[in-house]
Amino acid sequence: MTRIGVYVCHCGLNIAGVVDVENVADYALTLPYVSVARHYTYMCSESGQRMIQDDIKAHKLDRIVIATCSPRMHEETFRRAVAKAGLNPYLVEIVNLREQVAWPHSEEPEKATEKAKALVRMGVARVKLLEPLERQRVSVEKNVLVVGGGIAGIQASLDLANAGFKIYLVEKAPSIGGRMAQLDKTFPTLDCSACILTPKMVDVAKHQNITLLTNSEVTHVKGFVGNYEVTVLKNPRFVDEAKCVGCGLCTQVCPVKVPDGFNENLSQTRAISIYSPHAVPKVATISPDYCLRLKTKNKTVCGKCVQACEARAIDFDREPEDIRLKVGGVVLAVGSEVFDASRMPEFGHGRFPNVISNIEFERISDASGPTEGKIMNLKGRKPPKSIVFVQCVGSRDKRFHEYCCRVGCMVSLKQAILAREKLGKGVDIYVCYNDLRAFGKGYEEFYRRARDMDINFVAGIPSDIRSTADGSLYFDVFESGTNKLLELHADLVVLANGLVPSDGISKMKELFHVLRSRDGFLLEAHPKLRPLECSTAGIFLAGACQGPKDIPDTVAQASGAAAKVIDLLSSGEIEIEPLKAIVDKDLCSGCRVCESLCPFVAVEMKKEEKSGKEGLRAEVIEAVCQGCGLCSAACPTGAIKIEQYDNRQVLAQVEAALAGAEHKGGSRR
Amino acid sequence: MSLTDLTSMAKPNLESRERILAKLHGRDLLNCFLCVKCTSGCTALKLLELKPHEIEKLVNLGFVDELASSDIIWTCATCLKCFQRCPQKASPYHVIIALRNLAVEREAKVPEAYMKAVSQILEGGLAEQVQKVTNMTMETCDRESLKLPKIKPPKESFQIVFLKALEEKWP
Repeated sequence: MTRIGVYVCHCGLNIAGVVDVENVADYALTLPYVSVARHYTYMCSESGQRMIQDDIKAHKLDRIVIATCSPRMHEETFRRAVAKAGLNPYLVEIVNLREQVAWPHSEEPEKATEKAKALVRMGVARVKLLEPLERQRVSVEKNVLVVGGGIAGIQASLDLANAGFKIYLVEKAPSIGGRMAQLDKTFPTLDCSACILTPKMVDVAKHQNITLLTNSEVTHVKGFVGNYEVTVLKNPRFVDEAKCVGCGLCTQVCPVKVPDGFNENLSQTRAISIYSPHAVPKVATISPDYCLRLKTKNKTVCGKCVQACEARAIDFDREPEDIRLKVGGVVLAVGSEVFDASRMPEFGHGRFPNVISNIEFERISDASGPTEGKIMNLKGRKPPKSIVFVQCVGSRDKRFHEYCCRVGCMVSLKQAILAREKLGKGVDIYVCYNDLRAFGKGYEEFYRRARDMDINFVAGIPSDIRSTADGSLYFDVFESGTNKLLELHADLVVLANGLVPSDGISKMKELFHVLRSRDGFLLEAHPKLRPLECSTAGIFLAGACQGPKDIPDTVAQASGAAAKVIDLLSSGEIEIEPLKAIVDKDLCSGCRVCESLCPFVAVEMKKEEKSGKEGLRAEVIEAVCQGCGLCSAACPTGAIKIEQYDNRQVLAQVEAALAGAEHKGGSRR
Repeated sequence: MSLTDLTSMAKPNLESRERILAKLHGRDLLNCFLCVKCTSGCTALKLLELKPHEIEKLVNLGFVDELASSDIIWTCATCLKCFQRCPQKASPYHVIIALRNLAVEREAKVPEAYMKAVSQILEGGLAEQVQKVTNMTMETCDRESLKLPKIKPPKESFQIVFLKALEEKWP
């Protein structure tokens, strides 16, 4: 004989403020098989959990319905609680009275109470039919893949490697370092970016637990949490990494000029070059798009670098190489891109050479950049007499990206301070801002420091930037603090371009089946409580690929993600949820609909003999399946069902819902 | 109402604000966050002191009546730059047009030039009167001397439709 306990949570006033919880509990007691029904302020609290445990023992309850917040919040809490009292944790049904009743229907408390009753009735009908399930344990690989070698990937790799895990760090560019390597100094302390980053890059290269795969990209991913099989394509450098000493003689003799991506194409490098002055590994790379010999595929062409190289490191016969890895967890740290301001014609980026982006300013201000750290405008190569920074370019803008880029204000403050330090008192510096956001530790003080340095703040954004024939710029801006229309003349305009999702992010989405949020960045499992992981188990997030971030936040998140990986893999085995799809092989017709729909690639088609004929049968890889139910809903023969959600259990709920409609005299249209 | 403009002792009029919101089909076009980009680039600002961001803010606060009866809303050149450049997809332009409609609804004073333009269209079918031009050799030409066809007055049916449209109440 089934004995059901129903528990209605007040959630403080979140639920009880709208729903008549006492009424709902009383109603629950009238439902079939319900032995106990109670309501309590906080079911999730220790005393709330103890109430359930005591009732299970005292009343011999064998099914529990808890009417409370979303199961995403506390389903696990309650499962653990009933397990402690000796009940199978999968005999608990959560009814969502907060997100699905109290919050959306706060205007109509009476109807909300009716809906709460109906949902409880459905929950009771369903819980009766639930079956006990057991969790499985699977062993895991203790290797970790880190995708992206910026500061996020570097920090996560170092933390994990120090904890004893074997790390494969995959970087698309010929060197690690990422965006941070391009920066001059960093706010709010004005540390030189290279000074704090380069030692970490060297640590990565030297660490015995880290295998560094530069010039490489992930091309294929198979498997599931704890047991991923990853294929990495290592593109050829055409230079032997073991032999090259990084002397740069080859670059000096190479005749082919190539725009230097590391310098944001503000200068030129050669077809064979070392990626950046602080590159790790410090090894030359030949660009196959530009090298004369590689382009013409003719072994007699050019070859000047071969003659110049004393170490005999150059090898034009290198082929792309596939590397197969087995890893237990993955940290995605593919970073972001800088907004392309030429999409906003009103600011003239790309049209006027003296309108530059903030990342271009970093290269101009950096000692290893195209101007050797001398701030000058690019047309005329003269130090500017006046500089204007324009904020919120491409971010906080519904036409492009609605979110705040979180770094633009601080970057411009820092660049304004650097410009003042380098160019002295005689230069006019203005910042045209909308809202100036200095929210981090030490940031507001930094803003204050900028004002002390005679940097002028103009509360208003210009609408068009114009250029005179000699390349100097002028524009109108309405200053809302003084109600005056100002005309500003500038030799250099720096646009505070925001951070935007990169191509890498869409690639990660396809490879790892992770989700993206509306802003285009990778989606975390929960915005507050699970910010470091994806909803796909075993995949973790670090840095700006999850949302725009500055360096302190990126490093903090990377260390956090590393800790989550340790948490997952350190014991050598993991528990997996038993709520999976199961296939009835006799019913499966081999139509492959489930295979094509499964977002986690958990369905495999196997050849099998059935009544003398060979046919395809679907098979679910249990560890990969996340129990989403797409396959079950689509299966034309009803061969796939999800544990705890088979037809019987779902239809019982539907019937309970309709029973109420009849009861109230409602029609069954 | 909890708000008073102490410079004029005016109170917001929420009913008028509702009228404007109805004309704008919701508050999307009023979602201003005061970056002032519209006013920085306003064609009518330099000569006529039109401040589009101020209009957005005044309507949001409910000070609609003073705008509907002011001359300032009639200075907008309807170039639509504010609408095109607004980072929040708000539109001072649409708000100004709604205010003009409200002004006409309330029979507030409409600048003479506008009334002239209306009667011009009604009688001649064109917003501007046919003009003579002076060419490079300082000759004055009219349409006839340039062998352009004569402009016919509009059909009666047009005038009926036009008058009807003028009387129609917009939401």
